[in-house]
Amino acid sequence: MDTNTIDYAKERSGYYKILVGLLLLTVVTFVQPHMFMTESTFAAQMIIAVIKGWLILMFYMHLKGEKLIIWMTGFSLFIVFTFFAIVIGVDVQKFQFKDESHITASVTATPEAGHTAAPVAH
Amino acid sequence: MSGPYVPEIAIDRNGNEHIVQGWQGDFYGGKLGFWLFMFTEVLMFGAMFMALAYYNTLHPQDFLDASASLNRLLGGINTVVLLISALTMGLGLLNMRVGKVKEAKQMIWATIILATLFLVIKGFEWRAEYNHGIFLMHDQLLPESSLALGQKLFFGLYFTMTGLHGFHIIIGIGLMIWLLKRINAQKVTPDHHILYWNIALYWDIVHLIWVFVFPYYYMIGAGGATGGH
Repeated sequence: MDTNTIDYAKERSGYYKILVGLLLLTVVTFVQPHMFMTESTFAAQMIIAVIKGWLILMFYMHLKGEKLIIWMTGFSLFIVFTFFAIVIGVDVQKFQFKDESHITASVTATPEAGHTAAPVAH
Repeated sequence: MSGPYVPEIAIDRNGNEHIVQGWQGDFYGGKLGFWLFMFTEVLMFGAMFMALAYYNTLHPQDFLDASASLNRLLGGINTVVLLISALTMGLGLLNMRVGKVKEAKQMIWATIILATLFLVIKGFEWRAEYNHGIFLMHDQLLPESSLALGQKLFFGLYFTMTGLHGFHIIIGIGLMIWLLKRINAQKVTPDHHILYWNIALYWDIVHLIWVFVFPYYYMIGAGGATGGH
């Protein structure tokens, strides 16, 4: 079991504070495309998501102060993203079957072919 | 986790008894092991996000158009539902740690209800999409349909990832029901609550994944792309 002394009122109020923070960030998620960084919506949305993720990891998942788990998680993510970066950055860039591939053929051969129809809002 | 821990006794060649070190009460080890499991979840969803990012670079405008057509209101409500469910799960764990078992069980039930609500809302959303011909191997996502290839890829991954996420929600509900049974059987107690801790961690990783799924699918096309609300 965890042997730390538990300050119930403090931890409870901490949970609510993080909830308010996450709700505010969710509101920011909705207003961002119309308010700021409108030309870089993707980047803005991912920055907001990373901040929300950090709050969840540190406070809801109790990573704050857990040095060993933080290092383990960080190192593991580093290894994975390094390999992902190699695959995406090097291998995919030099994809040798671009013309034969169903996915990439339309992009390389007929760039306009993809914009024939847009789905209706549902 | 079955009954009180009874140490194993080993006897050496001279007949001396030695207590074998047991790890049943190893809270930190249990937590560390579960973090390793959660890492495999990140690997699985991470690979899907990478595929999504790659296809996005190939068909940027199609992705914006497809994203703009999703129902942001329902997606947003589900985001808030999951957010509150993470709070109830966390508060339940806190209650268990301080010995408020009844309140802890109430919080688990609240989380189960919120998780079910999430699935119901997601079901309505999928139904609306299905009625518009957009679903895996259905109408507009078939190879012969006139929908742009990039949008087919977007929606294919959308149904795959939100479906896998929904599957995790169902697993989470099952785990919470199991947790309630273990609490009722007094196998999970304020002094021995690693199971509760790890199921709460599981619920947080399910929430964490949605924190990235939601903006990538619902919000990237919200800034004025065609076809939106």
